[in-house]
Amino acid sequence: MKKSYLLAILLVIVAVVLFWQTGNATSEYADFARAAETGNRVQLVGTYVKDKPTVYDPLTDPNYFSFYLEDLAGAEREVVLLMGKPQDFEMSESIVLTGRMQNERFIASDIQLKCPSKYKDEEAMIKNLTES
Amino acid sequence: MDIQYLNEHLGPRYIGHFAVVLAFFAAILSTGSYFMATQTRGEVLRSRNWQRLGQLSFLAHGAAVFTVIGCIFYAMLNQYYEYQYVTAHVDGELQQRYIFSAFWEGQEGSFLLWMFWHVMLGYVLMVVARSWEKPVMAVLCSVQVVIVSMLLGVHFGFGDALIKLGSNPMLLLRETVNAPIFQQADYVELLRGNGLNPSLQNYWMTIHPPTLFLGFASTVVPFAYAVAGLWTGRHREWLDPALRWSLFSAGILGIGILMGAAWAYEALNFGGYWAWDPVENTSLVPWLMLVAGIHTNLISRATGQGIRATYLFYLFTFVLIVYSTFLTRSGVLGDTSVHAFTEMGLETQLLFFLAFYFFLSLGLMIWRWGSIPVPEREEATTSREFWMFIGSLTLFMSVVLILGATSLPVYNEIREWINPAFDGLTLTEPEAHHNRFQIWIGIFIGLMSGVAQYLRWRERNFGNYFGKFALRTGIAIAGAGLLTALTLLWIQAPSIAYKLLVFAGWFAIWTNLDYLLFFVRKDTRVAGSVISHVGFGFMLIGIMASAGNKRIISQNQFLMEGLTEDEQLARSTVRLYQNVPLGMEDYVVNFTGDTIEGLNRRYFMDYKRVDKSGRPVEEFQLAPNVLYDKGFEKIAITNPSTKHYWNKDIFTVIMGLPPEEQSVKIRQETEDSLQYRVLPLNVGERATFRDTVPVPQRNSSVIYTYGIELTDFSRLPAHPEYTPEPGDIGLSAAVHAERTGGIGAHDTTATVALILRDGLLYHYPAQLNDMSLRVKIDESVFEQLLVRDSDLNYQEYTVEPGSTVTVGDQTLTFERFVSQPQVEHFQPQDEDIWVSALLTTPDGQSMQPVFLIRGKQPSGVRDEITSLGLYAHLVSINPNTNEATLRIAQRDPGTRLSIPLAVAPRSYRTDYITLQAIEFPASTCFGLVPSR
Repeated sequence: MKKSYLLAILLVIVAVVLFWQTGNATSEYADFARAAETGNRVQLVGTYVKDKPTVYDPLTDPNYFSFYLEDLAGAEREVVLLMGKPQDFEMSESIVLTGRMQNERFIASDIQLKCPSKYKDEEAMIKNLTES
Repeated sequence: MDIQYLNEHLGPRYIGHFAVVLAFFAAILSTGSYFMATQTRGEVLRSRNWQRLGQLSFLAHGAAVFTVIGCIFYAMLNQYYEYQYVTAHVDGELQQRYIFSAFWEGQEGSFLLWMFWHVMLGYVLMVVARSWEKPVMAVLCSVQVVIVSMLLGVHFGFGDALIKLGSNPMLLLRETVNAPIFQQADYVELLRGNGLNPSLQNYWMTIHPPTLFLGFASTVVPFAYAVAGLWTGRHREWLDPALRWSLFSAGILGIGILMGAAWAYEALNFGGYWAWDPVENTSLVPWLMLVAGIHTNLISRATGQGIRATYLFYLFTFVLIVYSTFLTRSGVLGDTSVHAFTEMGLETQLLFFLAFYFFLSLGLMIWRWGSIPVPEREEATTSREFWMFIGSLTLFMSVVLILGATSLPVYNEIREWINPAFDGLTLTEPEAHHNRFQIWIGIFIGLMSGVAQYLRWRERNFGNYFGKFALRTGIAIAGAGLLTALTLLWIQAPSIAYKLLVFAGWFAIWTNLDYLLFFVRKDTRVAGSVISHVGFGFMLIGIMASAGNKRIISQNQFLMEGLTEDEQLARSTVRLYQNVPLGMEDYVVNFTGDTIEGLNRRYFMDYKRVDKSGRPVEEFQLAPNVLYDKGFEKIAITNPSTKHYWNKDIFTVIMGLPPEEQSVKIRQETEDSLQYRVLPLNVGERATFRDTVPVPQRNSSVIYTYGIELTDFSRLPAHPEYTPEPGDIGLSAAVHAERTGGIGAHDTTATVALILRDGLLYHYPAQLNDMSLRVKIDESVFEQLLVRDSDLNYQEYTVEPGSTVTVGDQTLTFERFVSQPQVEHFQPQDEDIWVSALLTTPDGQSMQPVFLIRGKQPSGVRDEITSLGLYAHLVSINPNTNEATLRIAQRDPGTRLSIPLAVAPRSYRTDYITLQAIEFPASTCFGLVPSR
């Protein structure tokens, strides 16, 4: 048995251990119920509830943006995002949040918006292209 | 129904289509010919004929690729919007210098860029590869076949299934979308372009993609050499040329990646240069693999060890390039990356591309595994090759880890495909996760790249050499330790791992420079390796310096309870009122104003650094900007502005504007939602009203009393933002407003104006921010300015030229008829016939009512002498008697105009911005970041 083979096997073992660690670092997208259960930082997917109050007043606090989100299980909760209101927020199809539950609110420190392609609607596209 | 379209430019389309098809078939022919040339390499004549054919068809292929690119550029430069690629990426405002950026913004353009580099590399290989030309070109041509097929745009009916092969960049817009506009023969006239995404309109977009794609493209050469080596069984001979090409490729790809990092840091507001974004990762991973391959290549060249590993690394570098292409272009990453392409229907084709080269590599390795030479003698654990090999394996492990995490979306797709109910896994905190492992790998590689330089190839007698080795290593450890200590005095490391990272960096720098001084006399080629290792060492220090030490200057001013420290840190935006300086950490920042130029709005921030006693140490200005989307409907992108020092950067970016400044739509909506009350006021008059404002989150309200006084008004409008144009009608007013109630009383004066220009009303309102009051002149003022005929008491007069009439207390002289006069109150059209009657007063004022025949219909245009309250119509002309029939009225001009002021309390402030300011230390480690 050559030393390099031994080392390669060793590395494979290390890699497997690290991979297992990676497995631990991942989680399924949580919903509000699970986030409340664990109290841990989770990632959560949902959609913006348009007819509930949405608060962003940079004059009061530029790092406080509150809105309601419906998670994949259908539960609605208030979300407090600890930053300004992102561009195109209202247009988002779905929202990915990173944060934790605090009492009844979800405190989010990161947000990612999934926006529909600008030209999903061909008519809108042509309209846009013909307007001078 | 066939429509004969007008003004379409179909030349580039036909040529382009033909060239794409030609490029495809020429590449197939070239692949086949080079393949046959390789297979028949034993028979010189036959092989040479095949090779000739391969060369000719590759030349033709290259010419065809250039033609496609040329056709697209031709259409883009001439703005032929009937082409979908032109409408999608060009508009009338696009500056010529961004035409290249617009070209490779789209998927098809970037494929063409990739092919362009392959063609160039192919031409070089045809000249320099000599005995390797046949197999190497066969491989390169086969890759070209696959990439061109992505642009074919051919549809097959295959039973019931429709197979779409590629997406053709030369398609017309009307061929890609179905819309009513294409029922019009002259639709081309109506089209406008969409333009280049504003966030890509900078010089990085001009230089980053071609560099990165040259890096991507050039990995095919080591791959092709590896395939050629396995194919022809010349397992040792390919190592030399492959090494040269790999070094080139790794160099270019490395520069491309660094440029991307610099772009992210300098121009985009990612707040850093590396975020472990999947798209970033997929370009890093092949590079790491290639670097691992270069090291085993060096080993095998020097000792004959590790040829198998070299094969594997080079083969899979290219497979990883294809995999990264698949990830970024198939839409799989859509959820997790900020800059992946969207779907284009090429998933299947890309998957085939990937599978083909993966299984080709694997198959070749299995086929030739036994015949690849392996030296009998094992390498010693004290030899350089042994530790270099360990280093390569460590790089490979880094690859596996990054790749595994980045591939989570692929894993999810597969799981979802098997079980649709599967939710999908995600890394909770990707950055922290990657950093956790990669820091240690970085430390290990840094130390290794130093130690290995001191070791000798094929060490047989380490015992004799040990003393020398220990001495040099010992000195290096001491030196690096000292430098680390000094560095840590200057910047603080957040954890022990980061301290070790600095040490590893200095160690790599020290040892490599030492090695250079010692060895450069014997072999100048070591300089290249030393420079790259020293660069790597500096990078390690730079990573630690910037990762661990960013200081948020714009600390949040508002407290929120129950947050963790990290969450508190995330709240890094502050609000700044215009001309109200704000102290942030050791700076005082004042937002002094802004300018708009086209869609670009630049804000000026005066920074003043103060010492502990508050004395200013230094002053400078930063000017971050925002770019509006077309039509000012939203903000397309915000660009930071950075003050560079040798050891730190002060980075500032606008996080948000007042809603009304973000979009004209919101501004209009807000304006409509304000509750204006109209106060008709004469000069000197004052009106008061009350407004009850509920206090947010408390059960009470404040009653404010407002007093509004009209201090002055002018029929000649004057307002700082108004530039008069001929034909404007308008007025301006000076207003004095005060508010009492609440915490304090406020007292302000302001100027407002209202202009009627070409039938449109332009308001120049005043927003009095200290009392949340908006003031403007109500539009009803024009009802007073423009008197209606029905409100006037007309008298009819029939008079000859030269006679006078008396209207009220005024005497008017009908001087004469004026044929076709040029007057302000009437704009003639073609074929109009018009005559006016010139009426004058004794004090020299005049008016000219117009009699008009337009389309055989008689009508008239009124004129007036406003100051005297005189209004006149020319009703008819009697050609026989030369008499004019006039209708003239007078009303009291002394009626003082009362100005209706519209005032709205509870309006929104518009004189603030929110911004983020961060201090990054030691960016000069990336010396290539130019300042703007």
